[in-house]
Amino acid sequence: MNLLRAWLAGIPAYLWSGWGAISSLMLFFALWDWGAQVHGDLVLPSPLATFDTLAGLLAEGSAWQELMVTARRALIGFALSLAAGSVLGLIAGLSMTASMMSRPIVTVLVGMPPIAWLVLALLWFGSGDATPVFTVFIACFPIVFVGALQGTRTLDDQLKDVARAYRLPARMTLTDVYLPHVVSYLFPAWIAALGMSWKIVVMAELLSTPDGVGAALAVSRSHLDTAASMAWIAAVVGLLLAVEYLVLEPIKREVEGWRAIQ
Amino acid sequence: MRQTLIPGLAAHPLFLCGFRPFYLATAGYGVFLLAVWSAMLSGGLPIPEVPGGAVVWHAFELIHGFALASVAGFLLTAVPEFTGCAIVDRRRLLGLFLLWSAGRVAYWLAGAITIWPAALLNLGFLAWLAVMFAPPIWRDPGRPHVSFLYALAALAIAQAGVFLGADPMSWLYVATGVLMILIVIAMSRISMRLINGMLDVEGVSGVEYLARPPRRDLAMFAIGLFTAVEFLLPGNGVSGWLALAASAAVFNLLNDWHIGRHLFNRWVFMLYLVYWLMALGYGLIGVAILGDWPLVSAGRHLLLAGAMSLAIFAVMVVAGRIHAGYWLDRRRWLPVAATLIVAAALCRVLAAVPVLAERANFLMALSALAWMAAFALFLAHFWPVLVGPRPDNAAGCAEPVPLEDTPKSEFAC
Repeated sequence: MNLLRAWLAGIPAYLWSGWGAISSLMLFFALWDWGAQVHGDLVLPSPLATFDTLAGLLAEGSAWQELMVTARRALIGFALSLAAGSVLGLIAGLSMTASMMSRPIVTVLVGMPPIAWLVLALLWFGSGDATPVFTVFIACFPIVFVGALQGTRTLDDQLKDVARAYRLPARMTLTDVYLPHVVSYLFPAWIAALGMSWKIVVMAELLSTPDGVGAALAVSRSHLDTAASMAWIAAVVGLLLAVEYLVLEPIKREVEGWRAIQ
Repeated sequence: MRQTLIPGLAAHPLFLCGFRPFYLATAGYGVFLLAVWSAMLSGGLPIPEVPGGAVVWHAFELIHGFALASVAGFLLTAVPEFTGCAIVDRRRLLGLFLLWSAGRVAYWLAGAITIWPAALLNLGFLAWLAVMFAPPIWRDPGRPHVSFLYALAALAIAQAGVFLGADPMSWLYVATGVLMILIVIAMSRISMRLINGMLDVEGVSGVEYLARPPRRDLAMFAIGLFTAVEFLLPGNGVSGWLALAASAAVFNLLNDWHIGRHLFNRWVFMLYLVYWLMALGYGLIGVAILGDWPLVSAGRHLLLAGAMSLAIFAVMVVAGRIHAGYWLDRRRWLPVAATLIVAAALCRVLAAVPVLAERANFLMALSALAWMAAFALFLAHFWPVLVGPRPDNAAGCAEPVPLEDTPKSEFAC
């Protein structure tokens, strides 16, 4: 209860610390605006024109639908890769042989360009939900897998011995010795995978589906509507930023808090 | 005559320490200027014939007259304290003060005697300050306070631009940016001492205030970039985004200040509000530029009539007493005056809002009155402190010596 209270009390301070990020973003918008003035609206619409278009799309109502479709695909693919990658990575990490065996396979998976997976997925699944979901899954899986594998492999043996010597209960060993260490590897991998999932899903949709943000991007491109393209990009990046800073970063700080003590 | 007048004047307690004549001049001249400006706006007084017109005159005198006097007073007291060099010699202080006053007179008369005497006297004043402070600041190991020298140099360039440049107003905007950066530099030093001193005196443990350099640097960088781009590309959207970046960076500074209920201590809260006004000012400028609203000037008034004036007031009421050998003033007038400054800045913003255009004159007058009242209150309460001898009858700028029976909390409200 006290922990919860402390965590809740920390929320305003965390939100306030976002001003630094906002300041950096505004500096970036200034650079963007400058680029727009140099190259003209047809090549690079200004931030204001982009946000105006986005506001128009959102007010129209259709944008929410496309975003929901894209978010659903990205999140399903991400959740699948997260579950499979974490579990398999942890198991592989427990055994030296399994780690050795999995390394070349992971290298193949990481080395395979997502666009190649997309082509295969199109052949296998056609132009439905399954294609982008599969592409997201297969692109994110190795990232999470490697994170989980390394987290388990790098566990400090001495700490394990100490835990054993003090006859630490199994639950306590898990929550106080293993979990904090493993999670500190897993979490950054999850965040990287989430960013990846958003990028991949838009790419997959652009080439394979009739709906979603990627498809909307394809339409705006064919109409040479740079402002609408930028608006869609801004929407995707904005959503990613919001999820990362409002959901993942606070959790990351919480689970990595122990590192500061070292 | 000269041989007796100057030593006689310099021997007056007013010249005991660098801040005394200049803080007096800051408040006195500020009230006078705004009274005259209000009378001019209402048509009661003729507009002075200065190159660039009345608005340039108004801005120049408030920035390079009113604000610069307080900067001089602050540096004349702070630099010896920071670097351990000797405090300014009384005669030299008298000379500096006379030079500043002559600069004011010359600028008022610029229509009749050309701008050049004013340029010479005003720039001479800044040059004198720089020459005086450069050696101790430069010799200080590690040069932790060298940014004050850069700020002085930047102020001098901005002032020279007013006299030499084609568009004097744009150079006054540059001076505004430099002053905001100077406030960030000065406040980081003042707040570290003041807030941690207050926490110490109150026996608070576990709470620490740190003015973190990366946050400060980001704020100064964003303000500096906005100022430069606004100067080079006036009214451009890029400067609008940069103003918003400056606003967010100043809000980001306040992360250091959220230290729980101690924030509401009157000394801490006054300085805290300075950053709020600064952030709101830059935010308003940014939104006004991007939205093409006629509120840029209102935003600038939040910076100058709000943030800068409150910073000046806060520094004067703290340093003005401590370095005159008095403990901090705990009377009621002080928060009242600070509130008046904030109210003045907000009224000035409201006066520029198109919906309230019908009441603009009333709001403008109200704003001027509140601002003048704040500094008049300062004058009334600080006259004996600044003009009279120290309570310990000593010389110099020393702080009061703590006595055994001194009340426990001098910093408390």
